[in-house]
Amino acid sequence: MTVQTSGVTATEAGLPKERAVTATGHSALPKGQRLDRVYLWMLLPGVVLFTLFITLPALMGIFFSFTNYAGFGSWKFVGLTNYTAMFDDPRILDSYGFTLQFAFVTTILANAVAFALALGLHNKIKFKAPLRTVFFIPMVISGIVIAYVFNFLFSTSIPAIATSLGITSLQESILANPSWAWVAIVLVSTWQSVPGAMIIYLAGLLAISPEVYEAASIDGASAWRKFTKVTFPLMIGYVIINTILSFKNYLNVYDIIVGLTNGGPGTETFSVAMTIFTGFTSGDYAYQMANAVVFFIVTVVFSLAQLRLLSGRQVSL
Amino acid sequence: MSRVSSLPVTRRTLLKAGSVSALGIGTLSACGSGGAGGTTDLSFHQSKPEVIGYFDELIKKFNAAHPKLDVTHDATTSLVAGFVREQPPDLALENYLLDVGNFVTRGALSDLSDLPEAKMIDPLVRDEVRQYASYRDETSVLPYSVTAAGVVYNKSLFEKHQQQVPTTWDELIGVCKVFQEAGVTPIYATYVDTWTTSQGLFDYVGGSMVDVAAFYDQLRQEGGDVGPDSPVSFSKDFAPAVDRMLELTKYFNENANSRDYGDGNVAFAKGEAAMYLQGPWAIGEISKLDPKMQLGTFPLGATDDPADAKARINFDLALWIPRGSSTRRQAVELLTFLMQPDVINKYNQDNLGFSPLKNAPKVTDPRIEGLQPAFDAGRIYQGAGTYVPPTIPLPNYLQELVITKNAELFLSRMDKDWARLAARTSA
Repeated sequence: MTVQTSGVTATEAGLPKERAVTATGHSALPKGQRLDRVYLWMLLPGVVLFTLFITLPALMGIFFSFTNYAGFGSWKFVGLTNYTAMFDDPRILDSYGFTLQFAFVTTILANAVAFALALGLHNKIKFKAPLRTVFFIPMVISGIVIAYVFNFLFSTSIPAIATSLGITSLQESILANPSWAWVAIVLVSTWQSVPGAMIIYLAGLLAISPEVYEAASIDGASAWRKFTKVTFPLMIGYVIINTILSFKNYLNVYDIIVGLTNGGPGTETFSVAMTIFTGFTSGDYAYQMANAVVFFIVTVVFSLAQLRLLSGRQVSL
Repeated sequence: MSRVSSLPVTRRTLLKAGSVSALGIGTLSACGSGGAGGTTDLSFHQSKPEVIGYFDELIKKFNAAHPKLDVTHDATTSLVAGFVREQPPDLALENYLLDVGNFVTRGALSDLSDLPEAKMIDPLVRDEVRQYASYRDETSVLPYSVTAAGVVYNKSLFEKHQQQVPTTWDELIGVCKVFQEAGVTPIYATYVDTWTTSQGLFDYVGGSMVDVAAFYDQLRQEGGDVGPDSPVSFSKDFAPAVDRMLELTKYFNENANSRDYGDGNVAFAKGEAAMYLQGPWAIGEISKLDPKMQLGTFPLGATDDPADAKARINFDLALWIPRGSSTRRQAVELLTFLMQPDVINKYNQDNLGFSPLKNAPKVTDPRIEGLQPAFDAGRIYQGAGTYVPPTIPLPNYLQELVITKNAELFLSRMDKDWARLAARTSA
């Protein structure tokens, strides 16, 4: 629930102020003239479905976070008990720590890799089309499938290869190592999400006029100077969009972890989304609803902070 | 993979929970009873994957003999979702664990104590059923199939190395050492599927050394006060057991860290290890891989007293009827049919189960008959792990315990989590 709701909040709030103003300026109707009914009718199905399936359940979730409801049977109000207990629960706090750390690292890594790949694939190279297709493949495979395939690689293939080569440090599965399992999750998530970011960067690179580079060449700029002084400044808007989108996605990380470690070893790699989900199966619905409400607020705060970065630059979501 | 259906958190239960979360809006609609032409529609919920076909056949027979009833076999609907929608099944035959105990505690199941079938149950088994949850003095569920689990062993390997079935801790360690010196993995473990450690190592050693039912009774009374200074606590009562668990891990396969349940069954079927801390659900899988394999089961003893070698039992299937059901009379008809001694005893014989009835025939399958003496003598317990509410991720903590060997961290975590949960839910 948090997932969709926060996503929508981000997009709705996503219009930079100046734009919003000009937009209303253009479409402002002369006094007395009414808006065409057709547009309202077009909006209606969306509004009804959204209210019914997103807003109402979310509000009910918030309501039940103040109760001891198990999902069925009798319940009573318990005030803020769920919330106060939450901030005293190391499992929940650890899951926030893990999720934020994971989201930061993966956002940086995935965007760096995607940007580099986009630059490479944008240039005149051999086999451009087949290479683009190859790099695009991870995007069309579902997350849980990717996770199970990598799980096999990490727990069986890599240790087997390491054993035959005599590399002792790799003979044990990285997924079973409490201090390094999260790195495997970062790697697999990056592998999966690079194509999406790469496409946006490629589109951005295509939008840069070749004349700019011509001018830079005439001025005798080196390849590195072209990148730092021409390409990157012109791409900054795309970088910000990608960072915001991927950070929000990584905060909701779920299927990759379920397929790779299922939260283990121990509870080292429990993400917030996974913790919330345990509430449904263990009769702890209300408590995890409180967690979901807090997580929603955290996501909104991060999205708003990032949107502030965005405003003033010539881009919008 | 019978065991999977009884896990606290599996992919399947997660998916089920997903459908619950999608429910959001509580829909209230009338119960699906009262079909046309005087026949009554009845929904029978039974989802243990391996025996769905078995019960399909039984239901067919029942329908043929009862023209006024039309029973549908439902193997997929989420039970929790059914209760949320106020449309639970008319009769359920499901795994009985703490999560179904939730329905009992909240009074969602009807009282069956007035039925003659309730008196057919072995009192020893009946008392075990009440340990998870009870509502007033009612009989909320009738046990249908009891699964007994112990140490599965490879009879050929035991013969080849001239080993006897151990009954005490020292004998067990002795057997392990012989196998280790002979280059055979003594015990195969699979840490990746966390439930296997909880079900096997933790429940077996704990069940032999601790009076599990009494421990949790006391623990529940202590509520939020559980800690190192309270009369009972994990730190105090489980410390010796945890030490022995860690001692036993020395005899596990070296790559246990990265093996899962499926790997374990395959490895054991290939004769890669002498012992396997698993139940009849795994025996079924291993026998499928190698039908000729000679398997046996013995109850694990973790003390010096052979009387502490006990069998871990769980209620693989139990019958219940929701409270306030308008079709209770018809559901009881089906229940009576299923509870006929020749039906229930045959089911258990066919599916490596122990019948919960008084004077039930002894199990004859050589793969599990090693547990019959313990069962007869009442040397049975329900796994210590199954008493822990799924909110506390015990299987994950155990995974960390066997990897890091940090007993103190594990025990203090269990105490703190228990106290925190008790304080929160009593408020």
